[in-house]
Amino acid sequence: MFLAAYFGVHVHVNFATTGFLHLLIVVLVAMIAGFWEATVTSVVALICLNYFFVPPVYTFYVSDPQNWVALIAFESTALLVSRMSIQMEKQARTAVLERRGMEKLYELSRRTLLMNPQQLPGPQIVAQICDVAQVDAVALFDAARARVDSSGSASPELEAAARDAYLQDRNEDDAERMTWQRMLRPGTSSIGAIVLRGDNLNPLLADSIASLTAIALERARSFEKQSHAEAARQSEQLRTAVLDALAHAFKTPLTAIRTASSGLLEAGRLDPAQEDLVTLIDEESDKLNVLSTRLLQTAKLEAAETKLRKEAVLIPQLIDDILAQHSDQLDGHPTQVSITNQRCATYGDRELLGTAIMQFIDNAAKYSPPGSPIAIAVDDRDGQILISVHNEGSEVRPEDRERIFERFYRSPGSNHRAAGTGLGLSITKEAAEAHRGRAWVASEKGKGTTFFLSLPRIERRVS
Amino acid sequence: MNTVNASQGKVLIVDDEPSIRRAIRTTFGTLGFDIAEAVTGEQALPLLRASNFDAVLLDVNMPGMGGLEACREIRRQFPRIAVLMLTVRDDEDDKVEALDAGADDYVTKPFPIRELVARVRAAVRRSHAPVGQANAVITIGEITLDPPRRLVQKNGQAVHLTPKEFDLLLYLMKHAGLPMMHARLLSAVWGPEYGNELEYLRTFMRQLRKKLEDDAAHPKYLLTDSHIGYRFREP
Repeated sequence: MFLAAYFGVHVHVNFATTGFLHLLIVVLVAMIAGFWEATVTSVVALICLNYFFVPPVYTFYVSDPQNWVALIAFESTALLVSRMSIQMEKQARTAVLERRGMEKLYELSRRTLLMNPQQLPGPQIVAQICDVAQVDAVALFDAARARVDSSGSASPELEAAARDAYLQDRNEDDAERMTWQRMLRPGTSSIGAIVLRGDNLNPLLADSIASLTAIALERARSFEKQSHAEAARQSEQLRTAVLDALAHAFKTPLTAIRTASSGLLEAGRLDPAQEDLVTLIDEESDKLNVLSTRLLQTAKLEAAETKLRKEAVLIPQLIDDILAQHSDQLDGHPTQVSITNQRCATYGDRELLGTAIMQFIDNAAKYSPPGSPIAIAVDDRDGQILISVHNEGSEVRPEDRERIFERFYRSPGSNHRAAGTGLGLSITKEAAEAHRGRAWVASEKGKGTTFFLSLPRIERRVS
Repeated sequence: MNTVNASQGKVLIVDDEPSIRRAIRTTFGTLGFDIAEAVTGEQALPLLRASNFDAVLLDVNMPGMGGLEACREIRRQFPRIAVLMLTVRDDEDDKVEALDAGADDYVTKPFPIRELVARVRAAVRRSHAPVGQANAVITIGEITLDPPRRLVQKNGQAVHLTPKEFDLLLYLMKHAGLPMMHARLLSAVWGPEYGNELEYLRTFMRQLRKKLEDDAAHPKYLLTDSHIGYRFREP
């Protein structure tokens, strides 16, 4: 500065040239050092200009008011220009940072997409965040698995913070400790929380990392669900195939046994005790046969192999037929039938629907007190036929209401009471589903149990 | 027919399962039938040519040409022989295919021997029935049907039937003991353009049962073959 002034005095340049020279120096200082340094520089320059160039020279006194204006203009320009140049510099620097942040996020999203779906998502995600975003530490709480994964210099404290963040359901920025706490919400509900620590983070970056993490977790979860469903389907297929094979394999020896036992009875040369024993063999082999036939039936229904012989089926007529044909299975229970529409019909397999409804009635007869009535109702509403079979038996436990429709499931209390294969209701359910209908049960203590079967109704031509 | 002694008939068992052949051979033998065995359809055909049989018990699932093909071949070469098919699974398609292939009847394994014997007897009777007695009076159990006079009696009491009910009953009683498929009944009674009108058939059967059975819910004469059709009780 003094050099510039000295140079100015000795080379005899004028006030304006020296002024611009000083201005240049101030701007340079502003860009290199900063605003406050530039301000100090500009004040020194002002003093120099005043001392060396403004008449009377070599004094700090300014005589001409015009020179006052010039000096003030110089100082203002110097301050303004340095401020602007600093802002530009800052903006350029922010742009670079933002670009780097974007690059990081892009890289992070790319890597989370390439995660190994066979392994746990948590450890993979935190490792990627540490690696790509170069944070000091990260802890991730996965609510579905109730586990915390961390990476970097994460402490148990940070892990606890992630869990607490989820439990308290809140985002928090602590700039002083450089930690950023974010909930993971891929949709409306939160699935976990993440805590990040690092000096290169900002709220925006933390938000973005959190949303990427949420998406990655959600993706991993839906993948898992899908593969579970696939596994369940495959095991069901296997089960069905095994059942089918078993039932077939049973039939041949059963045929031989039955032929032999019934042949012995037919030949009629047995004494009473022998006849009794052979009858036992005959009856029991018949039971085995019924069981294997039912197994085949469910196996086929589940494998959707059964070709339904569909026709218009008048439900009231079907119920009449069932009750007439199976009156012996009612075991002395009186039946009450109430039908709102005698003409309601569905399009379905008469035989299969008959079996399905019979299972309900059979079930009602088995599980209700001797002599108690069984109420059968057919209701026709909203395009659906609702068939209900009510008995006064004990309550079906809430946890059993779905499961009794599963194959072989028998509720723990029922084992000693009624003979059954554990197949009946599963056949009803399969039959209902094969007809785009539904089977379910409602039960209440003291009010008995009602089984429902709903079937789509058809408009029937009058025949 | 072929044997003059006390034999109930000569039956050929065709099944690839040795245990089933053994069980049927022994029991049928005890009950007075003459029995021969074959493992496949290919083995059965030369045996049938070599000697006169009254009936063939034919398994549906067999190696080689298979039961259905064997049935067609037997029908073609020996139109008068009674063919009963043994189906393993309780699958109606098998039964329908068996009847379509020309079988007189089917029996689902495992079967009580009494039922099998009754079916065999009914089939044998059919195959031996003299041709050309279409107008003979038929009596089965309490029911008597007189085709020329279009009269039906139960225990000597006249039963009034509509013309279609009468035709249906006549057809069933003529083929008593054998399964008559829905489509066959419909085309025989209503005409060849019928075949799918199951509701018709059910309504008529319902009426017939009301008129002829003591308890329509537990018919003794007019029996249902699930998914297949109806049969009149064997005489």
